[in-house]
Amino acid sequence: MEKRELYDGIKDLESQTELMLTQFTEVRKALTEVMEENAELRIENQHLHDFINEQKENVENDNKKSRPRSSKSRENLEHLFNEGFHVCIEFYGSHRENDESCIFCNEILNR
Amino acid sequence: MKFSIKRSAFIQGINMVSRAISSKTTIPILTGLKLSASNEGLVLTGSNADVSIETVIDRNDADNELIIEEEGSIVLPARFFSGIVKKLPSDKMTLSVANGFQTEITSGTSSFTINGLDAADYPHLPEIENDNEISLSGDVFKEIINQTVIAVSNQESRPILTGVHFVLKDGTLFAVATDSHRLSQRKVALPDNQGEYDVIIPGSSLSELSKMISDDTENVKMKITENQVLFTIGNTYFYSRLLEGTYPDTSRLIPKDSETNVQFDAYELLGAIERASLLSHESRNNVVKLTIKANVKQVTISGNSPDVGNVEEEVESKEVVGNDLEISFNPDYMKDALRAFGHSMINVAFTSSLRPFTLVPSEDAENFIELITPVRTF
Ligand SMILES: [Zn+2]
Repeated sequence: MEKRELYDGIKDLESQTELMLTQFTEVRKALTEVMEENAELRIENQHLHDFINEQKENVENDNKKSRPRSSKSRENLEHLFNEGFHVCIEFYGSHRENDESCIFCNEILNR
Repeated sequence: MKFSIKRSAFIQGINMVSRAISSKTTIPILTGLKLSASNEGLVLTGSNADVSIETVIDRNDADNELIIEEEGSIVLPARFFSGIVKKLPSDKMTLSVANGFQTEITSGTSSFTINGLDAADYPHLPEIENDNEISLSGDVFKEIINQTVIAVSNQESRPILTGVHFVLKDGTLFAVATDSHRLSQRKVALPDNQGEYDVIIPGSSLSELSKMISDDTENVKMKITENQVLFTIGNTYFYSRLLEGTYPDTSRLIPKDSETNVQFDAYELLGAIERASLLSHESRNNVVKLTIKANVKQVTISGNSPDVGNVEEEVESKEVVGNDLEISFNPDYMKDALRAFGHSMINVAFTSSLRPFTLVPSEDAENFIELITPVRTF
């Protein structure tokens, strides 16, 4: 191999490595974000499960004696919705993009 | 295979089936257009993963000047082939498949030879065996499509919402679509049809179909099997796959009663919303606010952008009844909803600032309803 070619080759390799390093950093950041979001969602998911069980109990209680729906669980759902999460079955626990409205959540919150 | 045909009739058929042909398909043979010459006439077919279109050029229709000398079929590269046919010099043209799949196209003094593919490798179109056919006039069917596809979702995260839910029950056809922010529902009475259907048709297929329904389309027939729907428009057959799954129950989403009712000219309201959205589009959350003062019969629309400024406009309303109200919503959904009404009068009904509100035509309020979910502002 000519010396010049060798030099050019090393230079190319250097810039490629630099590029790869920035890409690595970007991917790592993205991964961290995803993991954070995932953790957050798992927690919220757990909350939702609790609420749904609570709801079921309420429905059962309602059947026995007509009692107004627990205001606490509604507040919790409201809180979750306002934090930017879906509380509806259709998009269960997923993040609401840009605080957008949801017809299904709305129905649950106004039930 | 050999036939001659009037070029304009052929081009019309080619344009029809080309709607289904994509150059981006992963199945190479589907970049082609299939031609089949038989006793009855010439059948043209185009297809992609979602939609297939077949059109028959009738041999007995003298306008087509179709003479079939030899029966047979071939698949030709659609883009080249349609380009060639459109540029040929004479009013008439002849096509013949010679040795192998080489196809000769002649017109006037011009002659092309292009390589075709074996038609035996072309996928078969589904067989639709169902006696219960829905028949609707072309303009009504086009209206149903245009009124519902506006509310179809374009998000693949919930594929089922990318379709329109068609339900035929008790002699009534319902078509509903929602993208979770707004909803649109159209009803059509079909008293003579006692069948029952419950299917979800992809919105993209319906939009494509709607373009094929022209002012002189007398009627559109619709036939359904387990996973396919077939629409027949004259000599053209439009097949679409259906979406699998269960559509959410939308009946519970439509409010039964209201607290505030306002009547508007849809076109005037649209103008005001468009003006307000000029500023709301500049802010992050993109909302406009509607303020109703019932006692003084005043309706105001306002929008603001922290960076640009704000707008306020009083909208003329024909009737204001009920409670005062302030409600915020995404103006883009409102614009889509209002465009579906053209210049007609509409009734808009509100329950509260947190509940969805509805828009219906003042005349014939029973059959078409649009619903928009407000944005909660703090
Ligand atoms: Zn939701």
